[in-house]
Amino acid sequence: MIDPTLLVQMVLGALLGLSVYLPLSGGQLSLATPGFYAIGGYMAALLSTGWPALGGAAPLYPLPSLLLELGLAGALAAAVALAIGGPVLKLRGIYLAIATISLVEILRVLNLNLPFTGGAVGIFAIPQPFSDPAGYLGAALLLLLLVGLLCQRLEGMRFGRAQAAIRDDELAASCMGIDTARVKLTAFVISAVIAALTGVLSAHFLNTWNARQGSFDASITTLAFVVFGGSRSWLGPIAGGLALTAVPELLRPIGDLRLIVYGLVIVVGPVFFPQGLITPELLKGLARWWPWRQREAAP
Amino acid sequence: MDTLLQILFNGLSVGAVYALFALGYTLVFSVLGVINFAQGAVFTLGAYFTYLLIGGAVGANGLLAGLALPFALPFWLALPLAGLAAALVSLLVEAVAFRPLRRRRAEPLLYLITSLGAGVILVNLIQLLMGAEGYSLPADSLGALPVALNLGGAQVRTVQLVLLGVSALVLIGLTLWLEGSRGGKALQAVSEDATTARLLGIDSDGMILLSFAVSGFLAGISGGLVGLSISITGPYFGIGFGLKALGVLVLGGLGSVPGAVLAGLIIGLAEALVPSELSGYKDAVAFAFLFAVLLLRPQGLLGRPQVTKV
Amino acid sequence: MQQRPPAEPLLAIEAVSCRFGGLLALDAVSLQVQEGEIFGLIGPNGAGKTTLFNVISGLTPPSGGRVLWRGTPMSRPSPERVNRLGIARTFQNLRLFDSLPVIENVLVGLHHAARQPLAGALLASPAFRRRQAVLRSQAIELLALVDLAELADQTAASLSYGDRRRLEIARALATAPALLLLDEPAAGMNPVEKDDLCALIDRIRAHFALTVLIIEHHVPLMMRLCDRLAVLNFGERIALGTPEQVRHDPAVIEAYLGGQP
Repeated sequence: MIDPTLLVQMVLGALLGLSVYLPLSGGQLSLATPGFYAIGGYMAALLSTGWPALGGAAPLYPLPSLLLELGLAGALAAAVALAIGGPVLKLRGIYLAIATISLVEILRVLNLNLPFTGGAVGIFAIPQPFSDPAGYLGAALLLLLLVGLLCQRLEGMRFGRAQAAIRDDELAASCMGIDTARVKLTAFVISAVIAALTGVLSAHFLNTWNARQGSFDASITTLAFVVFGGSRSWLGPIAGGLALTAVPELLRPIGDLRLIVYGLVIVVGPVFFPQGLITPELLKGLARWWPWRQREAAP
Repeated sequence: MDTLLQILFNGLSVGAVYALFALGYTLVFSVLGVINFAQGAVFTLGAYFTYLLIGGAVGANGLLAGLALPFALPFWLALPLAGLAAALVSLLVEAVAFRPLRRRRAEPLLYLITSLGAGVILVNLIQLLMGAEGYSLPADSLGALPVALNLGGAQVRTVQLVLLGVSALVLIGLTLWLEGSRGGKALQAVSEDATTARLLGIDSDGMILLSFAVSGFLAGISGGLVGLSISITGPYFGIGFGLKALGVLVLGGLGSVPGAVLAGLIIGLAEALVPSELSGYKDAVAFAFLFAVLLLRPQGLLGRPQVTKV
Repeated sequence: MQQRPPAEPLLAIEAVSCRFGGLLALDAVSLQVQEGEIFGLIGPNGAGKTTLFNVISGLTPPSGGRVLWRGTPMSRPSPERVNRLGIARTFQNLRLFDSLPVIENVLVGLHHAARQPLAGALLASPAFRRRQAVLRSQAIELLALVDLAELADQTAASLSYGDRRRLEIARALATAPALLLLDEPAAGMNPVEKDDLCALIDRIRAHFALTVLIIEHHVPLMMRLCDRLAVLNFGERIALGTPEQVRHDPAVIEAYLGGQP
């Protein structure tokens, strides 16, 4: 039986995978997800420990307060993403990746040094809205369900088609009348909001929050979720996030070797699954067994 | 209180090492068009190799606890040897994380992942073998040289002069090699146009290996120098440094050697000029700089703009 | 023919210049395209024909001069704005969405026709589904027009060269243009395919009441197809007129046709 704590981590990993996936499915290699994840986590940590009216002293942190945090964190992340997205998304390929990594690093250093973020120790004793991991699992699964459904719908809409066109050839897409800047910005903002919401849940779940939560390694690890799971369908990052979060934990029995084995998995995985675990062919094969999807494809 | 001259030397010596390290990235990037994220780990290894070669002993926590080499080399000999060892590791990284993908003509995105995986393996191997603790090179590593020199009325740490001198030497050597030798010219040809170079009979596989070896050597030397100057803070210490060097590289313009040198010096100086009461923010300087430059001039300071052909 | 155009030209190029470093790719080129005509651009390689297309479609800002659409100067043209004005184009080097199915390529062209309320789209409401079905049948119609309807579900990358050229035309038509820019649509086609292409261009012009501006190297094809022609050489417009006038223009014979009558 898998430990529910691990399951919560896996679901949070899947959410972060979806956050990286959204811009990537439009061809934009943005690695800003850990930055927005950190913003969400700090928002939750600061509000719940610093604003008594929210009910941080109660035995169980009230759910409306959690919802308020989610709303505020999502709004802040969206505002930041809107502000920086315009200029940043003009960059292409590896330049975009490095600009977004820079952003994550700048945020990390700020979080480490700002007077109210608790320095290297961070913020601890974050109140708990749920009494056991199962509660968190429910909340995280609900969020994953909503975000997954959103991604699934977006792919069937003109937004998703525009994203696919931009991924294949941005210039041709713009000549077809697609406002590419707007499509890219939309994906970036949704990605930021997903990451921030995940950060809120994560901060409560971990009980403590510090600058290490949003770092460069996390940027690449979350990218690995998508590449490992498959970047052609929203199911890919979910599979990748679940699997790659589980691997290091399941490897705990082998002790110090576990991160070495984890590294090996990351090195070898792309060689054998260059398209990731969930490929378009696999989905086509599955669709034959799944009449509901067929109707969706040809209404 | 540091004088301006001291700040200047601090900045230039650190900046020169940034430049050196960044050039390692640039060689691989110009030949393969991808970033090697294992470079930070190779840098770390360079520092550990240097420490071991000058006779340092392994601490109490790793599998190799208490072990030391039966000999102790002087720093000036240990550093290039550590660089060579790092070059070998870099070749290993190529064989494990790059070649299998290259054979399958995989998309460039995958290299980011596999090279980071190789970095994770290296870092954790170090931790397994030598523990998570920090190491510092002994104060007498530089032999009989005095700790500080008096230059024009200012005290300058000898280490800084060594950093600056060695970096300059390696940079000059690298430039001479790139411009003057057959191997260097072939490497440049491949980075300009791999297909044409192949038609001209240049072995591009060999050039890829060469670029990994040289970039590993540069990373190893940089690691040794930084280890000497500010000590080794643990197996992860190259990661942050590597990220900064990557920033330096992009700031200067991907693929541009003079750009990387210029950007390295600029970042080194900018960091040195951060007042001590704000020193916590020092690590953000390079990235803030980079972020601003990318928005104003996406091709970097000395890079050529990308042109899309319609 | 058309010495004094009675109406405003659909597209007017006024003294457009384009400089790349030391190279003057376009040197004060002026021409006017009338509604409903097929206007050809010919000239040797490097004459600046594609550069002119790039200026018109908003990809390359001109270094001098201006472009007027239905008498109004285009302000801050970007490719998507130009397309929304009613100008669609194809590419000399084919820029299809290769990983997408053929029909999806056309559906991307229908992007603006696909605008729908967000809530309905997110909830996959019946209205949304009906609209999607209509768009698909529109896409199939366009594909049928260029004889690609049977290949609708294959990926664009798997098509043959001639099929890819025609798919680009269908994709451009999907954006409902008034002016279609075709950049060497016959390149790489055999004589039979070229004839079919001529027939296709005539057909779509009638069907959609289109104006066509076309670049092509194959001079006989252009003489047959176009109402008027402009000849570019080293960035300059050296001739303009009906095929008959252009054929006998001494400057053209000198510069382009290599002295042959």
